[in-house]
Amino acid sequence: MITYLEAIREAQHKALADDPRVYLYGQDIGNFGGAFKATKGLAKDFPGRVLDAPLSEDAIIGSAIGAAIDGMRPIVEMQFADFSTCGLNQIINHAATLYWRTNIPCPIVVRLPSGGTAGAGPFHSQSMEALYAHYPGLIVMTPATVEDAYSMLLEAVAIDDPVIFCEHKYLYYHLKAPALPTEALPTGKARVARQGRDMTIVAYSAMVHEALACADELASEGWQIEVIDLRSVKPLDTDTVLASVARTGRLLVVGEAFPWGGVTAEVIARVAQEGFSLLDAPPVRINAKDTPVPYHPNLWGTHRPTARTIAAEARKLLHL
Amino acid sequence: MPRVPILMPQLGESIAEATIVRLPFAAGDEVAGDIEVLEVETQKATMGVTAPCRGRIAEWTVELGKSYPVGSTLGWLEVTAEDAARLGLDEPTSAPMMPAPEEQPGESRSSTETQTVTPLVRGLPVPAQASAAGYLSPRMKARMDELGFRVTDLAGIAGSGAAGRVTIEDLEAYLRRLAEHKQTPASSMRVAVADAMRRSWSRPLATVGRMVRLDVMLAHRKQSNPKPGPALYALRALAVALGENSAPGGRLIGRKIVHPKSIDVGFAVETEDGVLVPVLRDADKTPLATMVARYHELVELGRQRRLPANAQGGSLATVTNFGTFGLEWATPIPLPEQTLVLGLGAGKIVPEWDGKSFQPATEAQITLSFDHRVLDGGAAGRLLARIAELFQTPEKL
Amino acid sequence: MSSPAAAPTSRTDHIQARYIEAYRWMLLARITEEKIATLYRGGKIVGGVFIGKGQEALSAATGMALRPGDVFAPLIRDQAGRFAFGESLLDVFRTYLGSRLGPMRGRDGNVHRGRPREGYLAMVSHLGAMVPAVAGVLLARRLRGESGTIGATCLGDGATSTGAFHEGLNLAAVEKLPLILVVANNQYAYSTPTSRQFVCADLVDRAAGYGVEGRSVDATDLAACLATLQEAADRARAGHGPQLIIASLLRLAGHGEHDDAGYVDPVLKKAARDCLTVAEQHIIGEQWATAADLKTWRMEVTRKIEDAIATTLREPPPDPGDEQWTAVSTPRLRDGFFEA
Repeated sequence: MITYLEAIREAQHKALADDPRVYLYGQDIGNFGGAFKATKGLAKDFPGRVLDAPLSEDAIIGSAIGAAIDGMRPIVEMQFADFSTCGLNQIINHAATLYWRTNIPCPIVVRLPSGGTAGAGPFHSQSMEALYAHYPGLIVMTPATVEDAYSMLLEAVAIDDPVIFCEHKYLYYHLKAPALPTEALPTGKARVARQGRDMTIVAYSAMVHEALACADELASEGWQIEVIDLRSVKPLDTDTVLASVARTGRLLVVGEAFPWGGVTAEVIARVAQEGFSLLDAPPVRINAKDTPVPYHPNLWGTHRPTARTIAAEARKLLHL
Repeated sequence: MPRVPILMPQLGESIAEATIVRLPFAAGDEVAGDIEVLEVETQKATMGVTAPCRGRIAEWTVELGKSYPVGSTLGWLEVTAEDAARLGLDEPTSAPMMPAPEEQPGESRSSTETQTVTPLVRGLPVPAQASAAGYLSPRMKARMDELGFRVTDLAGIAGSGAAGRVTIEDLEAYLRRLAEHKQTPASSMRVAVADAMRRSWSRPLATVGRMVRLDVMLAHRKQSNPKPGPALYALRALAVALGENSAPGGRLIGRKIVHPKSIDVGFAVETEDGVLVPVLRDADKTPLATMVARYHELVELGRQRRLPANAQGGSLATVTNFGTFGLEWATPIPLPEQTLVLGLGAGKIVPEWDGKSFQPATEAQITLSFDHRVLDGGAAGRLLARIAELFQTPEKL
Repeated sequence: MSSPAAAPTSRTDHIQARYIEAYRWMLLARITEEKIATLYRGGKIVGGVFIGKGQEALSAATGMALRPGDVFAPLIRDQAGRFAFGESLLDVFRTYLGSRLGPMRGRDGNVHRGRPREGYLAMVSHLGAMVPAVAGVLLARRLRGESGTIGATCLGDGATSTGAFHEGLNLAAVEKLPLILVVANNQYAYSTPTSRQFVCADLVDRAAGYGVEGRSVDATDLAACLATLQEAADRARAGHGPQLIIASLLRLAGHGEHDDAGYVDPVLKKAARDCLTVAEQHIIGEQWATAADLKTWRMEVTRKIEDAIATTLREPPPDPGDEQWTAVSTPRLRDGFFEA
């Protein structure tokens, strides 16, 4: 069995092996193999191409931009998605604007170990995808499966644009697949993770699994829930979402990030604008609470959406 | 002696489980507090697990080389009651910091259960299901537009949504049931009449009625050539009455009364598909005798569906002679752009007491249906009384 | 007068030729920026205009210390260095005037321009941000096993207070990258005097803290600038790691053309030297050229600039109807929501 984390490591291994322009840069990623072991063994297999960086997120990303301008394909690891704010300026003002301004693309991949795990607290649990998706020029990937973690990371390296790769920490070890994929949907295409006819749940990253568990629970009550895995939040596959809502008439959108604005709001805004007449009930979104991510597991388990809280909202929506 | 568990710690971000690689102490061994009592290995590193307190290893519940999830009990430590109390290990709630059950969501609440109304907005009570109650969803509206449906067409559907809302599934199910019936297209005239009646019905309509003596009118008719029909007498009487006081013919639009420019009165003509209403212009200024020819012409053109433009629309009232169907009484609906419709029932001969004996007399019921926003019962009654009065002097019509 | 490119026949000739070449870049920059300021005040240029008056000697020396293949990330007062590194007059005016034929095509303006594929990076406004970027280019070359090229970027005294400056210089030091950091200490960051910016005795002392080589230079002395920058470039090229240069001068203009610089200490103002005047006196004193020669050069330069402006003013502005309106280079990854 291959874990989500191993898939990320294998993708980086393959990228390094296939493309001499690829190198890895980040804190503790060299011989130590990374805080999460996402680069375990890579420094040994690819000497001089997996480099430990100083604790300097701005410089890590800024240097990757420079290297990309000079023809390289850097993969940068932020130790936690939360710390990418220290490199925010380079990401949003430099990498994201480069192609627009100069016509020179900026093929960097910034890997963000994202999302909550019990006990990680306010500064090691955040989901940053909405923040980065806000900025023109960035591609924001949010893989929910082992297969996508592998194939989308490889695609991220191949894409000429800066990619924010939001990999979910909870899925690292908890998600397993029998084998690495040999083919994949292209980024920008959402996946119908489960077919249904009564309601559409749109989710991404770890929330896809909560949505699927919710769909299982509701299936025992006779409801057929369709689950859409967005895969990338930017570009956002509005067509697949609209097609699903056309089938079901009901929309519930789930995200682990904070509630104000964000991906869930974006999905609903698009459906309201482009598919208003498809809706047979008000669209509903579920997010984390509007507080920092709490430390204690009791609080954390309630702060984020779960299959149970999603199911509760889903039942209300189904009965409208 | 209290027993406290030795737990698999969370050994790093996102670690789900770890493997036991060393168990240096056996059951029965005394151990000091805060020392490593076993060693586990994760994908990241090898790490020691410490005893929470000094004590004696009571038992191990794990095997070397096997993996256990974070938070599981690896073994038990027997400690003194003193130590347990001092270190807070005697509290039954000293559970591992694992995700606890989430807050109890409100899913047990049945959607049909009545909920307490809580004031929320500026002290006004807000319905608990404000987002749900009885609305037509955007999808319902779009589908209805596509089908040419109006809300009235949903009357036959018992909604399954909150507060009896008709959901799109309800509508589609209804359509499937309808599909089992023979369906033929309604004529465009039928559809137009239906639409006019639906629009008209959106107003508060009322009807009053009274008796009118017809003998004088019938006698006058007998002498006339050409002969006006009873409906034309009624039309002319109504026009004269409105010529004297046009207020009942006005329309209420918003906060204004819209007065008629001229006393143009329509009359109902039944055709194959529905009712047409040709209009006689300036009916208050046109003597009955000169009206007859135009009246017959319009009846004929109407039946041929060839009404000229100047005989359509723009009238302030309609006259309908439902008496031709043998009806004595009816509550016709004024056209949407009109306030009034005057109905004429079937005449019949009744015995009338002249103070000495019963004499045969011919009488009928006349009705006035009106928009109650514009007109009250008294004004409507006075208008009818005036019409009844004018029937007694047909030579002046 | 020999052309700047003419081969020197001796060390003295070499120094003279370099000096004259640098002076001509300075002159070109000075007059170019005067024209830009004129166009700005004439309403032909929108947005900000920031000129490098007083900083031309340092900037020209920086550009001249670099060779084709090297990397340069100039800042706002580096017109002379940009020219010396190879920027054309048309690129300057096309960017300021927003011509669709320019390198930025109206999408960005004024000093925010470059040709990244030619090693000429386009600055972002965030001070210090280009330090890690240049380091990254140099790191890329190291990773590919390429050697012999170096990089330079320019900062002011204010930028030394940014995290990016620290992070970038430290990273370059850790990786021992051939990066020259040219700090123009022009006494004011916008209106903030250096006393509110740092309290170390001399910014060059910081070099030791980063474990890099540091040099101070009088930025009004062109000969000193040329020598110092050349030395730093040679050291960097020879593998001695980052070079921190602290150059002192007084900014002889406002922060931008919108700024009258009324906050500048009159004592400093009185003592200030203009590097261009100093260089002219030096050239005449050394009898490398006559005052009449200088006047001729100025006329030649002015004519070239006026030609470039005239060309650019006849060029089409960007057309919002033709604009692609996408910030990603991969068409299939464009988020299509707003296409309707």
